Amino acid sequence: MEVAEEDQVDAHADASATGPLLRLRGITKIYQMGEQELLALDCVDLDIESGEFVAVTGASGSGKSTLMNIVGCLDVPDAGSYQLDGVEVATLDEYELAAIRNRKIGFVFQGFNLLARTTALENVEVPLIYGRRSNRTELAQQALQRVGLGDRLEHRPSELSGGQQQRVAIARAIVTEPSIILADEPTGNLASLQSEEIMQIFQQLNDDGATILMVTHEQDIARHCKRQVAMRDGRIIEDQPITERLRASEMIARMREPLPGSAGRR
Amino acid sequence: MNFVSDLRLALRALSINKARTFLTMLGIVIGVAVVILVVAIGLGASKSVADQINSLGTNLLTVRQGPRRIRLTAVGRAGSGSQAANRLTVQDARVIGQLFPETISAVAPQVRGNVQVRLAGVDTSSSVVGTTPEYVSVNNAPVSLGRFFNSFENEGSVRVCVLGQALCEKLTGSRLTDLTGRTILVNRNSFLVIGILAPKGAASFGPDPDDVVVVPLTVAMERVLGTSRLDQIGVSCVTPEVMPLAQQQINALLRIRHHLRPPFPESDDFQVMSQTDLLTRSQSVAQTMTMMLTAVAVISLVVGGIGIMNIMLVSVTERTREIGIRKAVGATPRDILLQFLIEASIIAMIGGLVGVVLGVGSSALLAKIAGWETVISPIALVLALVVSAGVGLFFGIYPASKASRLNPIQALRYE
Ligand SMILES: Nc1ncnc2c1ncn2[C@@H]1O[C@H](COP(=O)(O)OP(=O)(O)OP(=O)(O)O)[C@@H](O)[C@H]1O
Ligand SMILES: [Mg+2]
Repeated sequence: MEVAEEDQVDAHADASATGPLLRLRGITKIYQMGEQELLALDCVDLDIESGEFVAVTGASGSGKSTLMNIVGCLDVPDAGSYQLDGVEVATLDEYELAAIRNRKIGFVFQGFNLLARTTALENVEVPLIYGRRSNRTELAQQALQRVGLGDRLEHRPSELSGGQQQRVAIARAIVTEPSIILADEPTGNLASLQSEEIMQIFQQLNDDGATILMVTHEQDIARHCKRQVAMRDGRIIEDQPITERLRASEMIARMREPLPGSAGRR
Repeated sequence: MNFVSDLRLALRALSINKARTFLTMLGIVIGVAVVILVVAIGLGASKSVADQINSLGTNLLTVRQGPRRIRLTAVGRAGSGSQAANRLTVQDARVIGQLFPETISAVAPQVRGNVQVRLAGVDTSSSVVGTTPEYVSVNNAPVSLGRFFNSFENEGSVRVCVLGQALCEKLTGSRLTDLTGRTILVNRNSFLVIGILAPKGAASFGPDPDDVVVVPLTVAMERVLGTSRLDQIGVSCVTPEVMPLAQQQINALLRIRHHLRPPFPESDDFQVMSQTDLLTRSQSVAQTMTMMLTAVAVISLVVGGIGIMNIMLVSVTERTREIGIRKAVGATPRDILLQFLIEASIIAMIGGLVGVVLGVGSSALLAKIAGWETVISPIALVLALVVSAGVGLFFGIYPASKASRLNPIQALRYE
């Protein structure tokens, strides 16, 4: 295993002098279910450079969410090394992990996970509060404008559609300008048009320089990304660039076109 | 996280389930209100006892029958009710008054008892004091209307009397009715009313000192109560400084006169008490009562605190997902701890404040309606607030630390 690790390091040594943004080596996660041991992640190696847009795909139970949680510092691996921005995460204590989650990571969940009875604006402000940042309202407003919700600041989650709720969640993830945006099936609960709108936002963010790692089990959604990592039984079985990339803006235009009576629209 | 947003967050969380927050607060409200009320009543009682005793004068010594002998006397000691247990005599009083002019200025022998008083068809029970004219100066009991009886009337067994205002009220419905010149019946003996006593003020402990009829000693002993013994002798000293000496002199004299043998004071059949003795004695009664009631109140405060803990634990479980979300976006364990602690403290503090208002209000109400004297002590207020905030913190710590230690992944998956 050490040999493989050295090989990998060599392979990437030329790619960037400072090293990759994300560097996973031999990441292993075992769930103990009574007598049984369940190998959710089996020696995963993964590098992600700054500016990448990676889709993680695979069958249900293949370990995608487990991987995302470890990358998002919400969970700790049982073995292996994970470096984020050159920092070995395993050495950090609770408070340093909280700081990393706050500053370097923006997490988007499948189930939105917004605070109930709290307005969109306040939801987006939450990470800024824990980051002890000033001019929170202004930053939160800007983030909501970037996801196209500049006119829904005072709406509560119960007063927003699923797609809009997910956009609030994205605004919350980007408001601290994190090093990487992690999204675990962000379109899993959404219809196709809403999914495309979410992907459009991600593509825009990526074009603006954001690094994005997202999980999806829909091939159509994965094709919006630049690179695809396929998993099975806790292992990465395929890792390749996406050749025929889809642009969400085009997809949205195409979806709207055949609708009767839409001629009058833009 | 700054304090204002902390506070806003906590208030929002508490406002989500208003009924529950209110009920949780109620425990603290009642606890604090009861503490304040009880302390106010206790202090009021001590104060009115003190006022009452001080109103008798600071130079006063009281000689009473001793504490060692069994008192056989029942209510209204008719006939030979007071037996060997009480050996204070008129002669004792006279000798005390004559023998020590350098320390004792006056003595007022007294017999006391319960009587039926009747005026124009109105019947009521009251207490009678039979005494000499010295009573006015010795017991600090001036008349506000008419006059006190003089020594001729006393020695001649003339049936005249002086009334307290509370008794006037019971007989006529008003404290201020001028009854001088009227005739009343005291245990079926007719008495001419010649004066009304100045009020001593209501007591919250013991009988009302103004509910009294004062008659000449001789008449009281022979006709009204039928006794040959005194119940007490009021002794007025020359100055407060000589009181210990006077006390010793009376002790020595009465031991000889009553043929007592050592050891003293165990074998004494009388006791000499100063106002300070009386004061400490009755105040210690008041204090014991206050302390017992306060203990009950404090227990209710603790119960209120447990209520807070209970609700906070429920709240932590209910909001597990929220805690997970907050941790996922960068909340530290301390942030979460603080959030829940502030919520618990707010419940306790608002509850405490409302309790203070309620406690002070009900004390005032009690003073007004029931006529009890109540004293609000600022220390009790501050203490009640501090204790209730402390209760919030103390009982909030466990649920809050439980919340802060939640694992973010498990918290997010909860439900
Ligand atoms: N807390 C846990 N305890 C026990 N086993 C778990 C736990 N979480 C996940 N697993 C198991 O680990 C494996 C990987 O789970 P994971 O959630 O990563 O899959 P996934 O690829 O995200 O699946 P899906 O596409 O359905 O979301 C699964 O077999 C799952 O049953
Ligand atoms: Mg999953």
